Amino acid sequence: MNSASTLWKTVKNAMLYLILCVVTFLICFPLIWALSTSLKPKSEIFATPPTLIPHNLTLENYEALLTGRQQYYQAQGAPQNTGTTPAQFFTRWFINSVIVTLGSTLISIAVSTLAAYSLTRFRYWGRSAVPYFSLLGYMVPSIIFVFPLFLMMVRLDLTDSLWSLILGYVCITLPFCMWLMWAFMRSIPIEIEEAALIDGASRYQVFRQIVLPSALPGIIAASIFAMIVSWNDYLFGRVFINSIDNLTLTVGVMLFFEGTHVDWGLLMAASVLMTVPMAILFMALQRHLVAGFGAGAVKG
Amino acid sequence: MTKKFGNFPLDRRTFLGGMAAAGASAGSLFGTTPSFGQSKKTGTVRVWGEPGPYGGVGVAAMNEWAQKNAPGLKFEIETIPWDGVYVKLMTDLAAKRPPSLISVESPIATQMMAEGLLLPVDDMVDKIGRNRLVDGVKWDYWGNWKGKQYVIPAHHQPHLLLVRMDIIKELGLKDPETWDWNDLLHAAKTISEKKPNMAGFCMALGRNLCTDYHFAALLHSAGGRMFDPANKYQVVFDSPQTVEALNFVRELRPYMPKGAVEYSFLQVVDAHVTGQTAMSFYWGRTLGRAAEEAKPIFEATEAFNHARHPKTGRRNNWNDFQGWCIPAQNNPFIDEVKAALLYQQTSKEWLIKYCHSLMPNVAPTYKDIADAPELKDHPFYKSKPKTVDTYFRTSLANSSSTANEMLQGANPLAGYVHGRSVLAQTVQKVVIDNMKPEDAAKWGARELEAIRKENVRLLG
Amino acid sequence: MHILRHLQSDRAVGLLFIAPFVITALFFMVYPIAEAIRMAFYSYNPLRPDLTAFVGLANFEYIFEDPLFWASFWQATVWTLLSILFQTVFGVGLALLLHRALFGMAFFRGLLLFPYIVPTVVIALIWRWIFNPEIGVVNYSLIASGIIKEPIYWLSTPAMAMASTIMLNVWKYTPFVVICVLARLQSVPLELYDAAKVDGAGTMRRFFDVTLPQLKEVLIVVIVFRTIWTFNKFEEIYLLTKGGPGTSTFNLAVYSFEQSMASLRLGVGAATGVVMMIILLIGSIVYLRVAGFGENEK
Repeated sequence: MNSASTLWKTVKNAMLYLILCVVTFLICFPLIWALSTSLKPKSEIFATPPTLIPHNLTLENYEALLTGRQQYYQAQGAPQNTGTTPAQFFTRWFINSVIVTLGSTLISIAVSTLAAYSLTRFRYWGRSAVPYFSLLGYMVPSIIFVFPLFLMMVRLDLTDSLWSLILGYVCITLPFCMWLMWAFMRSIPIEIEEAALIDGASRYQVFRQIVLPSALPGIIAASIFAMIVSWNDYLFGRVFINSIDNLTLTVGVMLFFEGTHVDWGLLMAASVLMTVPMAILFMALQRHLVAGFGAGAVKG
Repeated sequence: MTKKFGNFPLDRRTFLGGMAAAGASAGSLFGTTPSFGQSKKTGTVRVWGEPGPYGGVGVAAMNEWAQKNAPGLKFEIETIPWDGVYVKLMTDLAAKRPPSLISVESPIATQMMAEGLLLPVDDMVDKIGRNRLVDGVKWDYWGNWKGKQYVIPAHHQPHLLLVRMDIIKELGLKDPETWDWNDLLHAAKTISEKKPNMAGFCMALGRNLCTDYHFAALLHSAGGRMFDPANKYQVVFDSPQTVEALNFVRELRPYMPKGAVEYSFLQVVDAHVTGQTAMSFYWGRTLGRAAEEAKPIFEATEAFNHARHPKTGRRNNWNDFQGWCIPAQNNPFIDEVKAALLYQQTSKEWLIKYCHSLMPNVAPTYKDIADAPELKDHPFYKSKPKTVDTYFRTSLANSSSTANEMLQGANPLAGYVHGRSVLAQTVQKVVIDNMKPEDAAKWGARELEAIRKENVRLLG
Repeated sequence: MHILRHLQSDRAVGLLFIAPFVITALFFMVYPIAEAIRMAFYSYNPLRPDLTAFVGLANFEYIFEDPLFWASFWQATVWTLLSILFQTVFGVGLALLLHRALFGMAFFRGLLLFPYIVPTVVIALIWRWIFNPEIGVVNYSLIASGIIKEPIYWLSTPAMAMASTIMLNVWKYTPFVVICVLARLQSVPLELYDAAKVDGAGTMRRFFDVTLPQLKEVLIVVIVFRTIWTFNKFEEIYLLTKGGPGTSTFNLAVYSFEQSMASLRLGVGAATGVVMMIILLIGSIVYLRVAGFGENEK
């Protein structure tokens, strides 16, 4: 009886692992395939039958993106300099994306942390309305914001500058950072702060030395979400930016696709490189992410 | 100095030498410009171009000018995908950050010139040489509005009927040069039936510019049109000719690749270059790509003027008379762009390089270039003399465009028509939604009427 | 009591801390929304701002008479309902699968949540690559394994294009449901299961009698949230199909974008936006109701 039940348990677990493996493979397949394509030379990309693990591993697609080597239009044998190609801007776009993502996240987090502290520790008119206002704000899709913000940027003479994107992303990330920080701050017990205040600490000392450290998990969760949203945005980048050097990755990489010639190896390499920063962030801070979801504040 | 500009072609060295010798007095050349050819400004001069290498070659010529005359400037090409042009147009112009120079399809150039967004360039035309154009074209085709020229020719590019001659011979079909619409249909059908895994024919049917252009040529061949420039641009789209063209597309549909309803420029080229179709409508680019990627297909493919319409005998192509135009507002580099463009336009070497960068997609616009022995020094001239000649010259007699329907007058509404993909949507009503062609024509006419009504100001 | 008063007295600090938020919110949330509403009553061609004119309700009349607007509305409804249905079913299923104390579960959890962070642009590109009818690996595998004979044209017929966009949406956002459900599952008291076991309930009974009621609350919240967002999604559709073939995958966001950009009618685009806002406002009220906010506030 005992051994039968152990056996049954082992079988059940094995089945479970099998199901998990199949499901995980299916879900991750698009990404695995993209990675595989990006590591193949041109000749192998269109090979039938397709190969999951490249026979001839090559980094030429990555090299082309990172060094900006010319990749297309070899005129009649001799390569011809035909000016710039989108691939040459890849590193530039990457840096732009990093700047706008960090910039907007920093602003959103700073503003919402201060505000959340104020909302949960002080009492004044309208303070209970702010979280609900934020909640409404983060339901509004960016397509509604984009043109009014665009015309505002035109008036401020900020179009075609990374500032327009930083401020634009603040507009879409601030509401849910606010909501999340408010929910988090509310759950931090107030007693230690009170004790410190009685001991003569100033408000600012309390905020810096007691509140910020205990709010850190919330700050991390909110930052991850803010970064994912900013890094992944396509619409604002498409509308706000005019010149090719100021584009962000998402908009720039779509340029590879819309020409007359799709280099799938290059595109997939670009896709992989675009996903990597978020993947690292995600892996490193996964448990905070789940905490954030628990607070019910995610945008997607 | 001015006299010298009359003697074309003028090679680069003479031109530059002349410039240097003229020194400070060269200012007279450009009227208000105090010092042509010398600029101390710094920065990046943004230039819009189509996907493809030729825009880059044009800009390379301008950078050569900048190196000598405006060392602080760098011209930079921004490739605008065709289907992204309207977004770019809106965001850049509305943001008051237009590029300093634009090379774009004629419908958009025509729209911008009628909106008053472009700089008149008649002074440049005089310097380039009014009599320099190849036979069969006029300056108007590139962009002339109310007596002023707004566009400097970059190239012309007709779309033609590309045919895999190996398949035609194998199946014993007639010479495509002699075809009318029924022969084309018959050939498409025969190929589809006899060649497994190959479509007989391919054109774009997606909701995009390419479909607009492909269908417009059929419409014009049937003798139909969208607007009547002789009668205040009244909409004349709801006509038997439109129905006929739509019916023809519907008849061809079974012999096209299944995915054609989402095809745009790229996919039509892909279909031909990968051997999925034996015939396709396309500009010269297909051959350029086939030469690089699929030699046997390149060798077997020839281009022909389109099949004749059985009744009208017309064989119209949609020819993009594409030119360089200069945004008039918020443009910090007007003088520099004019000088650099003039430099490119008067350099035989650069103009030939421009044509060679994607043979035979971009056809020469000036006689001296078209006749230059250096232009013929290209392998395509040896392997496909007739096809190249069809793209470059004999197609001109059949040229038409939505921006200038049947070359009877500029149509400033074409930009809006393409922005909304009205023609493509009309075609899709028939091939996807199975609407009757008569009803689709009525739907299209209503959309065109709405565009006309909203933009009456342009028709003035 | 004395301490509490002290805490709430130094208003200056409190107001100072909230000020950046108020300023930012006024500039980047209140103003754009107000402006979006105002624009809905104007005809506005971005190339000719000099011709801007007040047109009253004309933009609304235009969209309500436009068959494409209604088509977009219904397509968005179908898209949303099916996406949500699949996300919920798969999401709960996966969460139950992952909610086990097995070795290496953290690893699987990480991988299964991964799609959520992949940029939409990347997904759209990968989708077009693997679902390419001629050279894509999906059709190749299906044909090679004998499941289908002819290649499937994933984006070429209205029904398949809709299915493809739904598939993309489900793939990307199921992890969202998984995370929320998982967080809730971890707080279900184990005693409930033990009690059910003692009563002799089978796996299915235990799911319907114990698990589902416990998940009800979080599921309602997740479904309402996801419905609001999915209905208004732009990038997933625009980047994969551009609303095609024809206009068969248009939703209101794509309709608004096309009106604003391609047709240069910002006013009409804004009017569409106002309709979208009204819809989401209704959704939000539902959300606040079911989530019971305000009840736990003093």
